[in-house]
Amino acid sequence: MKFILSSHVLLKSLQAVSGVLSSNNTLPILDDFLFEVGEDSLKITASDLETTMSITTELTMSEEPGVVAVPARLLLETLKTLPDIPVTFNINSNNFAIEILAGEGKYKMSGHNGEEFPETPSIEQGNSLSINSVILAEAISKTVFATGNDELRPVMSGVLLELSDERVSFVATDAHKLVRYSRLDVKSDVTTSIILPTKPLNQLKNILMQNDTEVKIEYSEKNAFFSFGNIHLICKLIPGKYPNYTAVIPTENPNKLHIERLPLLTAIKRVSIFANQSTNQIRFTITGKQLELSAEDIDYSNEAHERLNCNFEGEDMEIGFNSKFLQEMLNNTDADEIIIEMSQSNRAGLIIPVEDGNKDEDILMLIMPVILNN
Amino acid sequence: MRRANEANMETKDRTIVHMDMDTFFVSVERLLNSKLEGKPVIVGGTSDRGVVAGCSYEARQFGVSSAMPMKMALNLCSDAVVIRGDMEQYSKFSRMVTEIISEAAPVYEKTSIDEHYIDITGMDRFFGSMKWAHELRQRITKETGLPVSLGLSVNKTVSKIATGEAKPNGELQVEHPQIMQFLGPLSIRKIPMLGLKTYKLLRSMGVVNIRTLSGIPPEMMERLLGKNGIDIWRKANGIDFTPVKPYTEQKSVSTEHTFERDSIDVVRMRELIGIMTDKIAFRIRKQGKLAGCVTVKIRYSDFDTHTLQRTIPYTSFDHLLRKTALELFDRLYRRRMLIRLIGVRLSHLVNGTQQLDLFDDTPEMVNLYQTLDRIRRHYGSKAVQRATALSPAKPEAKTMKKNLA
Repeated sequence: MKFILSSHVLLKSLQAVSGVLSSNNTLPILDDFLFEVGEDSLKITASDLETTMSITTELTMSEEPGVVAVPARLLLETLKTLPDIPVTFNINSNNFAIEILAGEGKYKMSGHNGEEFPETPSIEQGNSLSINSVILAEAISKTVFATGNDELRPVMSGVLLELSDERVSFVATDAHKLVRYSRLDVKSDVTTSIILPTKPLNQLKNILMQNDTEVKIEYSEKNAFFSFGNIHLICKLIPGKYPNYTAVIPTENPNKLHIERLPLLTAIKRVSIFANQSTNQIRFTITGKQLELSAEDIDYSNEAHERLNCNFEGEDMEIGFNSKFLQEMLNNTDADEIIIEMSQSNRAGLIIPVEDGNKDEDILMLIMPVILNN
Repeated sequence: MRRANEANMETKDRTIVHMDMDTFFVSVERLLNSKLEGKPVIVGGTSDRGVVAGCSYEARQFGVSSAMPMKMALNLCSDAVVIRGDMEQYSKFSRMVTEIISEAAPVYEKTSIDEHYIDITGMDRFFGSMKWAHELRQRITKETGLPVSLGLSVNKTVSKIATGEAKPNGELQVEHPQIMQFLGPLSIRKIPMLGLKTYKLLRSMGVVNIRTLSGIPPEMMERLLGKNGIDIWRKANGIDFTPVKPYTEQKSVSTEHTFERDSIDVVRMRELIGIMTDKIAFRIRKQGKLAGCVTVKIRYSDFDTHTLQRTIPYTSFDHLLRKTALELFDRLYRRRMLIRLIGVRLSHLVNGTQQLDLFDDTPEMVNLYQTLDRIRRHYGSKAVQRATALSPAKPEAKTMKKNLA
């Protein structure tokens, strides 16, 4: 096997998929990239068994097509130090010894039999849908932060993708906060839902940001396939039933707090510095047109109070929140103004951005309070 | 040099006491079992990879020291009595000591289970510092029955070294003018926080005692050992600015139940674990705290004691803590043997209130918790209880349950 390509092209391709590589693989061959050398193209694959990602790139020259597994770290580190020059790979098809020639340098490493690389699941009978890459990237970044990491509730470690002929929604929750990001301009013929793990989503997010293209999502019982441009990503779905989140969205919220987002966010940031650093609890006291934020850390006698003007419909109330969650939520929207809808101090509060522009976007955020000591 | 002089001016006026319990673990064991008196005793893990946590002076004569692998210790002293040790007991005695100190001392710092620093600067106006410290030491020994040594000087380093010289069961005062006279002839090993590596390095340079070390220019020490070098040089010169930081209790709440007769009734024990958890969970809720760690302990009839703990997301809800405690108990009870004692502990306590869960915590349940706690606060913790807490499970009750099932 022999092929030549530019070092930068190769490095860029490798870096696009290298995020999938795991540091503690059960199979040693997963520390390698799979190189499938074709007549004039090279397909590079990285996998951790859960997620498999591949990218196809053009070759300047190729002789004797074949497959080989190449040690990932060694190759990446070498390429990072090279200027943009043509690199020649000579691979012995019998013992998979790899010889790399670049400029005046000659580097040798031992590869492995590419046939031993785990087989990529093929696209079975499944449904598909098409979504713009920018929208998908947006949907991922607006939801993925809200996923949980409770081993006892594995479904919550992923993002729920709900498809219907009216809208497509991305939902994430860790049982304390919940985000639903819906797009009314993306539709599916079938009404169904799948749970996507966060690792491939984060991986996708980084690449999707860079190009504006259509992403084809295909899904079956067990897997989801994302393809766009020269990139393919296959990931296992999280099995199980997602909790019925719609049931916990409170419908009757007589108390509505209209407030400017940025002043609220900065006030929360300041006040929470004085909160207990393990629990980050902060108290909202709403009376008439005024919102008072307060926090205390008894251990250090730290205490903060801050008043903000707001518009409030409903009865005066007190409610406590984890300020970390609130900040994450408020950072997750660009709206100038938000409405926090509440019913009681022990029921979830709804954060709704008062949006100006995008009618196709619908964001709902839910945050569960902490019990207040009276 | 000017800085050092200034420092001396500042620190000269402080009065710091260092108190260290003598062979603490062994002393506690001897208190509980007088047969151990006069024998070489080693406390530590008994498994192949166990290490020595503490040993008596009799064992030290054979070359045994703490942190040594147990196997090596037993090679050196094969007649030693080895005890697995009971951290719960040691903590209890440690708390007793801390309590006595807290009653007497204005500012104190607990640096380990058996060590305290006390800042009594200015108290010599009313009492003699040494007299005060001496009386405190005697009180500790009288009230707990444990031997303790103390050192008294102008800063933490010198006080600690003085305690080391005073041991066992002694006391030593080093006044400011005598500091160098006292430190000078001592081995550099006596300097706290000077590790084996540094010791070997300095010894290889021919530095044996503290006097030689104190004479090395600090710039040279810095080149040799970095920032740490300056620190060691300061200590060698009897200079230490570190303040006595007021001690905050390592927060935990626990409860134990010793059976009148050793038991094997797992059903009842699980009920008890639940009841005990409820009890301490209410206690932390009352204090406005949340727990981040649950520990369950069982002691078999042969005094073999085991504990198991798990960190959890901060909570103070009975049902969550109960679940964790019971899971730990089920994993812990393995020996099919009579049990003498069970215990539950909540630790990693922080101030705060329960973060509610979107899916598990219905408003009804939250209201129930709040109402129950309100009743308990008014009428006492036993005003509302689970039925299992009222009486031991009688045989009839069990059959009834069966019938219902």
